Amino acid sequence: MLIAEPLQKAIDELSKLPSIGKKTAQRLAIHILKDDKESVESLINSLRDLKEKIKLCNECFNIATEDKCDVCKSNKRDRSIICVVEDPSDVISIEKTNEYNGLYHVLGGVLNPLAGVTVEKLKIKELLERVKNEEVKEIILALNPDAEGDATSLYLTKILKEAHIKVTRIARGLPIGGDLEFADSATIGRAFIGRIEL
Amino acid sequence: MVLKQLELQNFRLHKNTSLNFSDKLNLIIGGNGQGKTTILEAIYYLCTTKNLILASESDVVSLNENFFDTKGNFADLTNDESRVFYDSTKNKKSVFLNDKQITNSAEIIGKFPIVSLIQSDHAITLGAPADRRKFVDSVISQVSKTYLEILIEYNKILRQRSVILWKLKENYDKNLLDELDAWTVSLINAGTEIIKYRISFVNDFNKYLLKSYSQIVENLETPKIIYNTVSENIDSIKENFIDNINSAHNDELRRAMNLVGPHRDDFLFFINDLELKRFGSQGQHKTFQIALRFGQFYYIKDKLGKTPIFLMDDVFGELDTYRSEKISQHLNEIGQSFITMTDFSRVEELNLSKESNIIKVENGKTKIIN
Ligand SMILES: [Zn+2]
Repeated sequence: MLIAEPLQKAIDELSKLPSIGKKTAQRLAIHILKDDKESVESLINSLRDLKEKIKLCNECFNIATEDKCDVCKSNKRDRSIICVVEDPSDVISIEKTNEYNGLYHVLGGVLNPLAGVTVEKLKIKELLERVKNEEVKEIILALNPDAEGDATSLYLTKILKEAHIKVTRIARGLPIGGDLEFADSATIGRAFIGRIEL
Repeated sequence: MVLKQLELQNFRLHKNTSLNFSDKLNLIIGGNGQGKTTILEAIYYLCTTKNLILASESDVVSLNENFFDTKGNFADLTNDESRVFYDSTKNKKSVFLNDKQITNSAEIIGKFPIVSLIQSDHAITLGAPADRRKFVDSVISQVSKTYLEILIEYNKILRQRSVILWKLKENYDKNLLDELDAWTVSLINAGTEIIKYRISFVNDFNKYLLKSYSQIVENLETPKIIYNTVSENIDSIKENFIDNINSAHNDELRRAMNLVGPHRDDFLFFINDLELKRFGSQGQHKTFQIALRFGQFYYIKDKLGKTPIFLMDDVFGELDTYRSEKISQHLNEIGQSFITMTDFSRVEELNLSKESNIIKVENGKTKIIN
């Protein structure tokens, strides 16, 4: 079977995306091929902007368009509380609840020795730097309540307490095995209200 | 709960088999290798998504075929259809409940409770501690999803922790010790929960064991399970766990192994205060194995309020007439059961009731003979 090379290349690239199979990739490539020039330009530009204009906040490692993310830049946020999460999608889930008005710290993962993720692979050193700032009064741990999330919370609790800082953890109201990302806002919201000191 | 109907396609010798069952006893008779245990194997798949005799899925697919398919219709308060489909070209097993695909087997475990008495059960009394833990864990998991979840989490913690232990063995580093501590606390938290469940299970289950055992034997013998773990006292599990893991610290680092926790527990079986493993006769072992399974049946029935399906694979061959009769009395009382037998001449010993069903199996073909 012969497929024009540019089309085959586009199909191959699209099928590398998560949850896109060969068939879907083919449909998408044909759709783009048939689409008018402006729409395709706009798609290309939006993808380029995504990669070029979005970076990680140099303070909390959340998604940002400048050196600092919108949360860190805002003067309405309570700078004495930092909520520690696994990745930027957790920030989005928590922001949607409107229950939280502090800052964030995105670890970029959780401890998972089997997958090669140990302390130095996460933004833990950077978190310790942040808590040296006298403004910070409380750290909230909002990691998923599975084996890895728990071990990470335990590790952070230990080293943060050595640094004499108040540590709380959102309550286990979340479905076990369910990622924070997929829990509904009400559930996450309730878990926030019921957080406990460690 | 009962299984009304079963369909098998490309399932070992069964190219295409469809069977209707009695709500009481279903006797499956056939020579060795004719496909009678296969029917139990299919029923077990539909209730647990797992293989009864721990065979791999690809071994179940008929020769020269590339899939197997099995469906069962269960009737309880509602009617449910369970289906297990396996594609050997992709090595992929798919499970469906009422035509909806299920991704987590925990969704099915406990929905169609099942108890099986099979040849490999001898390992429960004669084998290693791991065989006994497997028995106990499977019984508790059937009645408690929380237990199953904690168990899965605990096993994951063990694997994660052993990676850290290996790293420490290769390169001793103070920061890594802090990381180990975090996994140790996780291990103790999850492990303590497991031990609590097991302690209360053994306390409870001993009554069921005693009752089932006394219904099979002539003379007065008292069976008992004793749980051997980090602490006998439910209030000091965590304390003892911490103490034990602290004193094993150097050993754990040297051997890079998780040396303390419920994954190393054992369950000791006794008859009249004598340990079965050391003093039991062959007959006592067999009786104990059977009593464990009948005990499991009544335990699950009480806890779930649902009557499990009972499977029994070729057990009568090894029993004397007295115990065979006692067991068949049991079978007439318990609900729906599926019993395989090689020897047609022993059917009389079973005192079959009118509602029973006799299925003859020959080379993957079935025939109902009543
Ligand atoms: Zn930020």
